[in-house]
Amino acid sequence: MIHLADITKTYPSPSGPVEALRGVSLTVNRGEIFGIIGRSGAGKSTLLRCINMLERPTSGKVSVDGRELSSLPEQAVRQARKSIGMIFQHFNLLSSRSVYGNVALPLELAGKSRAEIRQAVEPLLELVGLTDQSNRYPSQLSGGQKQRVGIARALASQPQVLLCDEATSALDPETTKSILRLLRDINQKLKLTIVLITHEMHVIKEICERVAVMENGAIIEEGPVFEVFTNPRSAVTREFIRTVINHDLPEHFQDTVFSSTPVPGGSLLLRLSFLGRTAEEPVIAGLVRRYGIDVSILYGNIDHIQNLPFGTLIVELSGDAGRVESAMNALRDYKLGIEVIGYVDRNARAAG
Amino acid sequence: MSTEMLGLLVNALGETSYMVGASAAVALLIGLPLGVILVATSRGHILEQPVLNRLLSGVVNATRSVPFIILMVAIIPFTRLIAGTSIGTSAAIVPLSIAAIPFLARLVETSLLEVDPGLIEAARAMGATPRQIIAKVLVPEALPGVILGVTITIISLIGYSAMAGAIGGGGLGDLAVRYGYQRFRVDIMAATVVILIAQVQIVQFCGDTLSRWLNKK
Ligand SMILES: Nc1ncnc2c1ncn2[C@@H]1O[C@H](COP(=O)(O)OP(=O)(O)OP(=O)(O)O)[C@@H](O)[C@H]1O
Ligand SMILES: [Mg+2]
Repeated sequence: MIHLADITKTYPSPSGPVEALRGVSLTVNRGEIFGIIGRSGAGKSTLLRCINMLERPTSGKVSVDGRELSSLPEQAVRQARKSIGMIFQHFNLLSSRSVYGNVALPLELAGKSRAEIRQAVEPLLELVGLTDQSNRYPSQLSGGQKQRVGIARALASQPQVLLCDEATSALDPETTKSILRLLRDINQKLKLTIVLITHEMHVIKEICERVAVMENGAIIEEGPVFEVFTNPRSAVTREFIRTVINHDLPEHFQDTVFSSTPVPGGSLLLRLSFLGRTAEEPVIAGLVRRYGIDVSILYGNIDHIQNLPFGTLIVELSGDAGRVESAMNALRDYKLGIEVIGYVDRNARAAG
Repeated sequence: MSTEMLGLLVNALGETSYMVGASAAVALLIGLPLGVILVATSRGHILEQPVLNRLLSGVVNATRSVPFIILMVAIIPFTRLIAGTSIGTSAAIVPLSIAAIPFLARLVETSLLEVDPGLIEAARAMGATPRQIIAKVLVPEALPGVILGVTITIISLIGYSAMAGAIGGGGLGDLAVRYGYQRFRVDIMAATVVILIAQVQIVQFCGDTLSRWLNKK
């Protein structure tokens, strides 16, 4: 649906050129919710604005729905933007227009008649649950209601794609949840492709199917949300995940020194993660039975990723070094995320 | 109050209103688009045109830096060209308009610059053309401020129109000078001042009310 090929964007500035994007390539599939996460200044907004050509990339190709926007003249790009909706962190509603007037704006711009506009706006207001606020002005609405107006307005021209620039960052947690739920609803009802950028991992966790992590104008990690969560490869990603899933070790391990190689008479600490109803107990029971080792569970937690249960378990394997090794290899055959925390000297642990 | 004096006052009030009304209309007709162009052609805006922008801005500044009384005399040949004469109430409309156009343009520019750039961004994302952005976003959003700008312009014009009396423009200022000052008619002087004050108060009140009514923020 959206295809970005080797996008760069350089801004001139008094202190020399700023490279906001350094060769970003990305594909977003039709109908998916794709998340882009990154710290402030990573280049998320710039990337998103390149998708609808609010910002022309310095180099690289942008195509949306099979059309290469980056090679089109401004007038054709304007036309193409009508099939790409956009919502914003600060809503960007016209204060001089009522709720109805704001949602009607894209249709007015397209030269629709009053009757056509009415016919289109009313179901949209109903979709976002604002039918009874139709005549109010943005200044009289709460943040969540304003974003609902923003969403209705973005949907007015029946777009294929919805771009969300930090759409929930100005909202409280409850309102954020309800807006995310609304986004998921319209994604399913209207088969809309959604690209959202955020600096909050819980937003990604809540509704995205795939995620890209940005840092310094480049994508440093990308994949299905579950895989990125269970198998983060970069420090930045781990940092983001830590904000939603407790990755800290239980307190009595806090000062422990871990070794990356087996220590005699020591034990091995693993962090296992699993999605859905992977039967974790038979796995662990099986290890005990088949390899004759001790397995103790030090920490367990169940969270949710896109409504699927997502579990984290920290286990300690102890026993004969060779057997522990083969038990770990056997674990790799299951559909589990496995992270080796390290080997630890049991005596040291007992002393600590 | 004598009928003679009443007649003089009514006549002068009519002349002042005519001068101010006509020149305010011209200022609106030219100053409003000029203010819009000043904003739209500025750096990074929807119709960026740096050369045109600097040129217009220079002309606006030059006009605004000439005191009205000097402007009035300096453009007499131009006034004669437009109005056919350089003397009289109608002729005074020319320098009044010339002074009011850049004045209003700057005030309009200021109001338009206060419109949240996010709104322009949103309109661009909807596929709006620059013209649509101006008509549907910039001007409606800035309207309360523009109304206040027009109000200030009209009030300034009331002041300037008194000076226009010096070139035979007539009006309240002229009446105050000729009767109140030169013929020591304190009653006429006082009446003119009262009327001028009332006029300004009414204009300000109407402008404020309209602006407040339009402002949904
Ligand atoms: N118009 C511009 N002119 C110059 N530099 C810019 C411009 N827009 C963005 N930048 C720079 O490009 C880099 C990326 O900015 P961008 O807004 O895309 O970051 P972001 O990831 O969206 O950050 P945030 O989370 O703060 O919104 C930053 O270093 C920023 O200073
Ligand atoms: Mg941003």
